[in-house]
Amino acid sequence: MSPSALEPTAGSAPATGTGPGVAPQPMMTVRNVERHFEGMRAVDGVSIDILPGRITGLIGPNGAGKSTLLAVLAGTLPASGGTVTFDGTDITEWPAWRRARHGMIRTFQLPSEFAELTVLENLLVAAPNHRGESLRGALLGRRYWIADERREVARARELLARFSLSAKESEYAGSLSGGQKRLIEIMRALMLQPRLLLLDEPMSGVHPSIIGEIARYLEGLRDGGLTILIVEHELHMIERLCNPVIVMAQGKVIGQGSMIELRRQREIVDAYLVG
Amino acid sequence: MTYYLTTLGVYAGVDIIACLALNLQFGVSGIVNFSFIVFQAAGAYTAAVLALPPDSQNGGFQHYVFGAQLPFPIPWIAAAVVGGVLSVPVGLVVLRHLRVDYQAIAMLVLSVIANLVITNARPFLNGAAGLSLVPQPLSDRFNAYSPTYLWAYVAVTFVCCALVFFVSQRIVKSPYGRTLRAMREHELAVTALGKNPVVLKMTIFVVGGVIAGLSGAILVGFITIWAPSTWLYPETLILFAAVIVGGRGNNWGALFGAALVPVGFEEATRYLPQFGPPGLVPALQWVAIGLLIIGFLWFRPKGVLPEKPGRFAAATPVVGARLTKEPGVS
Repeated sequence: MSPSALEPTAGSAPATGTGPGVAPQPMMTVRNVERHFEGMRAVDGVSIDILPGRITGLIGPNGAGKSTLLAVLAGTLPASGGTVTFDGTDITEWPAWRRARHGMIRTFQLPSEFAELTVLENLLVAAPNHRGESLRGALLGRRYWIADERREVARARELLARFSLSAKESEYAGSLSGGQKRLIEIMRALMLQPRLLLLDEPMSGVHPSIIGEIARYLEGLRDGGLTILIVEHELHMIERLCNPVIVMAQGKVIGQGSMIELRRQREIVDAYLVG
Repeated sequence: MTYYLTTLGVYAGVDIIACLALNLQFGVSGIVNFSFIVFQAAGAYTAAVLALPPDSQNGGFQHYVFGAQLPFPIPWIAAAVVGGVLSVPVGLVVLRHLRVDYQAIAMLVLSVIANLVITNARPFLNGAAGLSLVPQPLSDRFNAYSPTYLWAYVAVTFVCCALVFFVSQRIVKSPYGRTLRAMREHELAVTALGKNPVVLKMTIFVVGGVIAGLSGAILVGFITIWAPSTWLYPETLILFAAVIVGGRGNNWGALFGAALVPVGFEEATRYLPQFGPPGLVPALQWVAIGLLIIGFLWFRPKGVLPEKPGRFAAATPVVGARLTKEPGVS
């Protein structure tokens, strides 16, 4: 299916960041991306576009290659072939940390909190361009970096208030619940003021009451103009949040469009959307 | 008695410096540097050959390179520099691509190889016999065997301890230290936040190498001998035990661990009555060190003085502090 098919025809989620009747330029363009493991093609010739200001869903059965594709896009796994372009720049060979500095932040399938750091420290680690974050800055002492620190602490506390976790700021991140750890990951990513957020199953293992909260936060972020690619198995959340939705199976993209469109395609229903 | 006490004082100071360096690498950053003793040895050898006269002197009974006979403090400074410079190739090979457990194995192997090479390459650093008659700092101006000199040496050692502690505290308490701790917890997540883990690991590895080199210089300047038998790989394990027992990630813990394990524990067991076949008691000392590590990892993994979280001034209420509209919080 061509990437142009990503243009929504009917969707349950609003499309923001696009002018009326004007196709937006993709924020990220993925062409023929492959990732092999010992001859096994986990990602096999994937071509997709990520449009700005939307939440794009990536779904498929276990082993479809979704998380591997997300890791390749984030640079945490190198691609075996193909190209990834972000904002018109070919970033295929860039390491993950360079992509992150360019505004592309990912979260992980398993909680990746810094367990022995407090919640506030978890967020501060993500602060970009901090004067105290180099050996030189550290050796020059507190006076050299305290202004940056105060600014970032204020930003982190704003985020904690926004996500209703202010009361937890001094607790070790490792002591939080699964849902709270997911929120920390999202807040940590937001500290970097990303342009593209890559979320790998952010609702996995999370209590149903928190899932609704996470969904509301993501809607708020989208409405604020953030572009999000989300790998998720919670289909009702995908339906609520995402347009377009990309379906993968056996390393390939087998369909994309709105959930309403996808439900009409027999092969996709057979492959994944059972029932 | 003076010699015993001053020797104990210098060893304590050197162990404190070494434990602070290892704490930066292992405790704070998660780098399992099982070759730490190699960097201390590199510093000791450097200080020794730069302080010694050419090997043709003293009847030519030992063979070594340089023999520059440079005045204090040049050998100490050079030792620190060599410790840091040696860290660069080792770090680039070991820390860039290997997983943490393989890094540890590679470091251990490096320690064994380095010791074997120095032992067998006699013209380089006098092989297994090692270097002796290393001139003490400023021994041309003062009587190096007088109690005043010995106590002054202890004082200088503790000044170096204070300096290293100050630098270590600055690192640990800074945002840089915070990022190092985050890297220890989840390296991939730190990478995904735009931090270059290779740069982070290399810088702290080099800092540790510099401090290790300095500690070797201080020690060899006092004991005046240095041989491969003094820096076998198990010496590193004692330092690891000290950091684990004291509290990894906490400089005070490293300091406490250094005083407790390499100094207190080893000195206390030194006076155990000899029994059984020769070598049994020293072997039991090692068994005790091993049990100490296992015991602490099992029952008190954070050590006696656990790492402390960062402290921040309490938040002051700010009108309109929330970023944007708050998506319905239940």
